[in-house]
Amino acid sequence: MQVFKRKPLTSQQLSRRSTIAVIACAALLIVGLWGFQYWSASKGIRLEVEQRAKAELKVKQLEIQKVLSSVEVAMQNMDWAIEKGLSDPDDFYEVAERLVSTNEAIVGAAALFVANFYPQKGRWYEPYVTTDSTGQFVHKQIGSASHDYLQFDWYLKGLASPNGYWSEPYYDEAGALQMLSSYTQQIRDREGRVVGIFVADVSLEWLGKIMNAKPLYPSSYNIMLSRSGQIMASPIETLVLRHTIEDVTAKMSDTAVKSLNINMKAGQSGTATIVNNKGEKNYVFYAPVEGNTGWSMAVVCPDREVYADLRATTMSLLLPMLLGMLLLGFIVWRTVRSARHLREMGEQRASMESELRVANNIQMAMLPKIFPPYPDRDDVDIYGLLLPAKAVGGDLFDFYIRDEKLFFCIGDVSGKGVPASLLMAVTRALFRTVSAHEAHPAHIMTLLNDTIAQDNESNMFVTLFVGVLDLPTGRLRYCNAGHDAPLLAGEHVGQLPCDPNLPVGVMPDWKFTAQEAIIYTDTTIFLYTDGLTEAENAAHELFGNERIKKVAISAEHRPHRFVHAMADAAKQFVGDAEQSDDLTMLAIHYTKQQLDIRFSSIIILKNDVQEVPKLATFVDQVCERLSFDPATTMQMNLAIEEAVVNVMNYAYPAGTEGDVKIEAQANDQRLKFVIIDSGMPFDPTAQEDADITLSAEERRIGGLGIYLVRQLMDSINYERVDGQNVLTLRKKL
Amino acid sequence: MKTLIKEENDIIVMYLEGRLDTAAAVQTEADMRPLYDCTDRDIMLDCTHLEYISSSGLRLFLGLLKSAKSKGGHVFIRGLNSNLQSVFNMTGFSSLFEFK
Repeated sequence: MQVFKRKPLTSQQLSRRSTIAVIACAALLIVGLWGFQYWSASKGIRLEVEQRAKAELKVKQLEIQKVLSSVEVAMQNMDWAIEKGLSDPDDFYEVAERLVSTNEAIVGAAALFVANFYPQKGRWYEPYVTTDSTGQFVHKQIGSASHDYLQFDWYLKGLASPNGYWSEPYYDEAGALQMLSSYTQQIRDREGRVVGIFVADVSLEWLGKIMNAKPLYPSSYNIMLSRSGQIMASPIETLVLRHTIEDVTAKMSDTAVKSLNINMKAGQSGTATIVNNKGEKNYVFYAPVEGNTGWSMAVVCPDREVYADLRATTMSLLLPMLLGMLLLGFIVWRTVRSARHLREMGEQRASMESELRVANNIQMAMLPKIFPPYPDRDDVDIYGLLLPAKAVGGDLFDFYIRDEKLFFCIGDVSGKGVPASLLMAVTRALFRTVSAHEAHPAHIMTLLNDTIAQDNESNMFVTLFVGVLDLPTGRLRYCNAGHDAPLLAGEHVGQLPCDPNLPVGVMPDWKFTAQEAIIYTDTTIFLYTDGLTEAENAAHELFGNERIKKVAISAEHRPHRFVHAMADAAKQFVGDAEQSDDLTMLAIHYTKQQLDIRFSSIIILKNDVQEVPKLATFVDQVCERLSFDPATTMQMNLAIEEAVVNVMNYAYPAGTEGDVKIEAQANDQRLKFVIIDSGMPFDPTAQEDADITLSAEERRIGGLGIYLVRQLMDSINYERVDGQNVLTLRKKL
Repeated sequence: MKTLIKEENDIIVMYLEGRLDTAAAVQTEADMRPLYDCTDRDIMLDCTHLEYISSSGLRLFLGLLKSAKSKGGHVFIRGLNSNLQSVFNMTGFSSLFEFK
């Protein structure tokens, strides 16, 4: 089964997410509040607009009612005259004139009688009074076969309406060229029978003025419909009486308009929301005109204007709100980022600390740490200890034996931390590299200095002590570059005298001076860093050289005991104070025992390879004395020949003569050959070994000699003593 | 140190007898000179009576081998005693030469 691991989020992703989450929550809250505020405000506005529209409708209603009532009242006032005039058909002209005169809305008046009411007037009798353009009354009898009012709908309705009837509005094309509506009242005879209708042609000129006056909103408008749906008033004049509301709204896709039309024509009042084909929302408030006109009014308010203020306010709120959101987002982002920054700093510190630990481990791993390092040797024992302070430091010590010489060093890099530790590592590596082919401490130090001082931009330096102890003879050569002088603890305790050299890395091309001392058996060379001398107690006193000497005098000379006695003394002195610097100590106990010489023989040869057969005879004799088998004898021959020929070839310049002295010496443990010449300083042990793994084509012709010596003998050791090269080869017995 | 060069069955054989130390190497180098003219052929170094060899002698062997290798010839060695064989092993020469 394959397991899919979800990729862990980076801290950056996390913080981005939390920022987004916080902003989203805030945005949601703000939008919610905003929406609620908008919703409640729009509800209020809706209520308000409804009230305003209803009030508007009421006002219009009252204004219209005023005119209509005046007509109706004028008509009612004519009742008695009409009744009186029934006896004379021509009296109606006078009545009609009076009616037209009394009310300026009434542009004409007529009486229409049932068929054959006045036999002398025929089947149709319709006396009609109107005014001409000069204001003079005009009398006409317009009832006739061609104007058969008896069939007219409004006549029949008027005849049937005891409380008066308002006809459908119509356009007076023959007369006043205006919209009219006729108001009819029944004419009754003395017996109360309806014998006809009295009609006032009422101009509806004023209706448009009333309806179109002062709209509620800039683009809102009012309309009026007749009971059949004809448009009686509209801001668009061309619609008036030419179209029904059904015509006008036929193409509208919003079906609500149909029921609105029906409701209006049915004389109901109410509210409707209509969306026109342009997608604009309109609120329609409608109510009938009271009375018996059958008219219906509506106020149409466009949504955008009703809510214009609210939206403007809302929009004006939106900008500060957006700014607020941005500000909030910024604050959250900053907070999250600084939190992340803190966390990352913590992580970085943790990783730095762990890297420092690793660096410290590497540093420690570089130091010799197997003690005793040479359990098989009886001439030297060594113990080293580095107690690091909290951070990685720059103390170092190192030692190794090459060709019967103990190379050792102790040093302290200026400063602390990683740079110091790096320089410490470099110094230690250089010490090993340089001393591999160089046994002179001043030369080693010079090479180290040249490398480190070069490009030393950070101006770091190392106080360093380099010693080379010739183990067979106890001759110590050393070079001290500004380090604490080591202590020699033997029968007496004293400091090793040291020349004042600069520390390594301070000045390129500094000529370091080397010094020599003879180390006697059972003497301890004790080296330390200033972590020991400057170990400080709570009273700010330093451990100091005197205390070191005191401990050295009483301490046991086995290096492990010696170092720990010193460490314990320092620790006791310091007490609870914190260790401020690395504390490094190295003790070298020289224990060379001179054994009784059992046998000794000397031969002196000229620096001529033709002397080699003499050498062979000499070596054969020595081997015979020691009862070596032929194989070992051959090996001794080969080794000594190679060593001697090497000296003959290189120590003396070509053409110069000189002697080579070979001394064979044996004790109970080993046979040694000491080859001494007075030629130029020449250290064969510094030569590179031949690489025996190469192919014939790659093999160099030379370089085999010293390689064979190293293979055949147990040790090879070179010393320059008193102007002579001294090469010692040893073979264990 | 004595040497002898013979042709045996199309192979040039050089017999080496005695101690080939640094002192003897001077003469042996001169004795070997004719072999350099035949390094396109197979050369056999017979060491049956060779008692001793130092790096100077080994150097001569290597010089001859280098010359043969560059001309496509072979240098064989035979008859090494165990002491000399150990020297050849020690110096890596046993892997350079072909032994018969």
